[in-house]
Amino acid sequence: MEHKVEILHASKSFNGQPVVSDISFDIAPGEVFGLIGPNGAGKTTIIRMLLDIIRQDSGVIRILGSSLSDGIKDRIGYLPEERGLYKRLSVIDTLNYLGALKNKPDKERALELLEKMGLSSHKDKKIGELSKGMQQKIQIIAAIIHDPEIIILDEPFSGLDPVNTKLVKDLIIELGKEGKTILISTHMMDQVERMCDRIFMINRGNGVLYGSVGEIKSGYGKNTIFLEFEGELKSIAGVRKTNLSGNYAELILKTGTDPQDILKAVVEMVKVNRFEISTPSLNEIFIQVVEGT
Amino acid sequence: MRKWGTIAKHEYLYNIRRKEFLFVTFGVPLFILVAGGLPILLMGSTMSTEEYRIGYVDKTGLFEPANFTEYANEELAKKGILDSKITHFFVIPENYTATGRIEIFSTKRDFAGSRTIEDQIQGFLLGNLLKGEKGEIIERAKRPMNSEFFTLDEKGGTSREGISTILVPIAFAMLFMMSIFTSSNFLLQGVVEEKENRVMEILLSSVSYKDLLTGKVIGLGAVGLTQVLIWKSIGITLLLSNPIVAAVILDKINVSVPILVLASIYFISGYFVFASIMAGVGAIATTSREGQQMAGIFTITGAIPLIVSEYIIANPNAILSKALSFFPLTSPVSMILRLSITEVPLYEIIISILILVASTYFIIELSVRIFRASLLMYGKKPTISEVIKYVQKN
Repeated sequence: MEHKVEILHASKSFNGQPVVSDISFDIAPGEVFGLIGPNGAGKTTIIRMLLDIIRQDSGVIRILGSSLSDGIKDRIGYLPEERGLYKRLSVIDTLNYLGALKNKPDKERALELLEKMGLSSHKDKKIGELSKGMQQKIQIIAAIIHDPEIIILDEPFSGLDPVNTKLVKDLIIELGKEGKTILISTHMMDQVERMCDRIFMINRGNGVLYGSVGEIKSGYGKNTIFLEFEGELKSIAGVRKTNLSGNYAELILKTGTDPQDILKAVVEMVKVNRFEISTPSLNEIFIQVVEGT
Repeated sequence: MRKWGTIAKHEYLYNIRRKEFLFVTFGVPLFILVAGGLPILLMGSTMSTEEYRIGYVDKTGLFEPANFTEYANEELAKKGILDSKITHFFVIPENYTATGRIEIFSTKRDFAGSRTIEDQIQGFLLGNLLKGEKGEIIERAKRPMNSEFFTLDEKGGTSREGISTILVPIAFAMLFMMSIFTSSNFLLQGVVEEKENRVMEILLSSVSYKDLLTGKVIGLGAVGLTQVLIWKSIGITLLLSNPIVAAVILDKINVSVPILVLASIYFISGYFVFASIMAGVGAIATTSREGQQMAGIFTITGAIPLIVSEYIIANPNAILSKALSFFPLTSPVSMILRLSITEVPLYEIIISILILVASTYFIIELSVRIFRASLLMYGKKPTISEVIKYVQKN
């Protein structure tokens, strides 16, 4: 089957500054694909090029087998990174208008999705009266109101509380199960680690990693220990690097270190709540790739 | 519906419900009404409560009282005023027939009423002077002329001239300029706001730049037209509710149907040239104030035919007049001016309309490219050279 999205050697520079250099990747039908990298890496530029909001300087971009036309735009749903809606328009009017622009105004589906996102009691309120998080959920609904084949979500979790983050995650997983092709762009790499089939990692406009999450991780071996503890963690022999955040630590081991020795050392130092031998997190992999270690 | 139609409809309905729109649309006529009508109302109230009773002192012995009170001398007349028997009196001196001098006395300064007093005294004097003539002659003597100018052409045919002929083009020009000034605001705001509120990217993921801009020009243009139409209806209703004014206007206006049809065509097509320019300006500008400054250049250009209207009326077929009636920013007003004064060859009309339609298309096309270029630089105004570069590249 043909690719839903295909980017071949795309480059773009603004005022002589390269923002995206020679990027190539493709997204298969029904795939949940992660476009990940830090802020300013070029993710949004890639998405804008995909949607022909800006045009690449060189390279080829194909969506649904061809370049972008109005007919194809109708089959894509998009949540932009820069959120914005008409403040004085009511929720239901907003969804109807944005649906009509996709040639598919569907009031029933709009009400259904509002219900699912816990917003049906707000349907007649003006957008300006809603909280930021609610507005964001409205925009996510707007992106899928027309039941698109391809869904592009730029930073879908930013600004959401944990409850809503889970709500949106569940929605994405559900859409994935329905066979939609989904592109998630985010700098929160850990958020998408378990959701995405494959990822493309980008840094400063250059692609640095590309492939299935499992493959990428196994390439780095099981040299990482996830640790939850109480107490004070001091340096441990055999550990190359410690990523510490509160009562949680990610320990990257030197080659040849036995995890059992680490466990013994740790138990003497702190009270251990969790000890897991694993592949490194995407965050850690990214840092390693970027630092060239 | 085509997507630009959906956008036009949305823009129209969204903006027409704005508080600012309702406030300006109904507030401005109300303000004019109050500001202009209040003094008249106040004046009217003082006039109607007070009736004028006029007396006179005749030193020539030529005049008969009619409905005025005659006094033997000034002292008695003054007493009459002080006793409130009369409000005014006037003195006809002995040498009146040679000088025409009349002295009017009253206790109050009353500028508003002085005209009425003069009219009444004049009627009295004329009636007496023309004693023995028929009433018709007396009336005619009061208003001896009701004139109109005609122009002879080469073949000896005549055409009307004077106020009646230029009334229509001047009214057209005023209305046209007014529409452009008000609508340019809507369009500028509409486009700049879209950039500010960040809805743009969602819209562009659904429609092309061209559909977006075309829809905005049509939708917001219609908002401006609606406002002008409401003002016009309020104005006409007010004028017609005053029967004297209505009669004068209807008497003066003489418009041929073809000119009315052409005026509508020029109005609409000329209007959309400006509307598309405003959209383009909005695309470059980062704030609406900045946009208004840039837009000013174009609206002033549009006012040129009004500024040189005397020249066009005197020389409707001069090169400058013709040039102005082809240039898209000035052609609507210039052409209507020329049309109501002289015969304009049909091909000139067709060419100028074609230029208008083509420039609307061309300007939208250009604005789309500028729009695209400027969107790349959120919050930064593109320089002219950058705009040219992007327009060429796309």
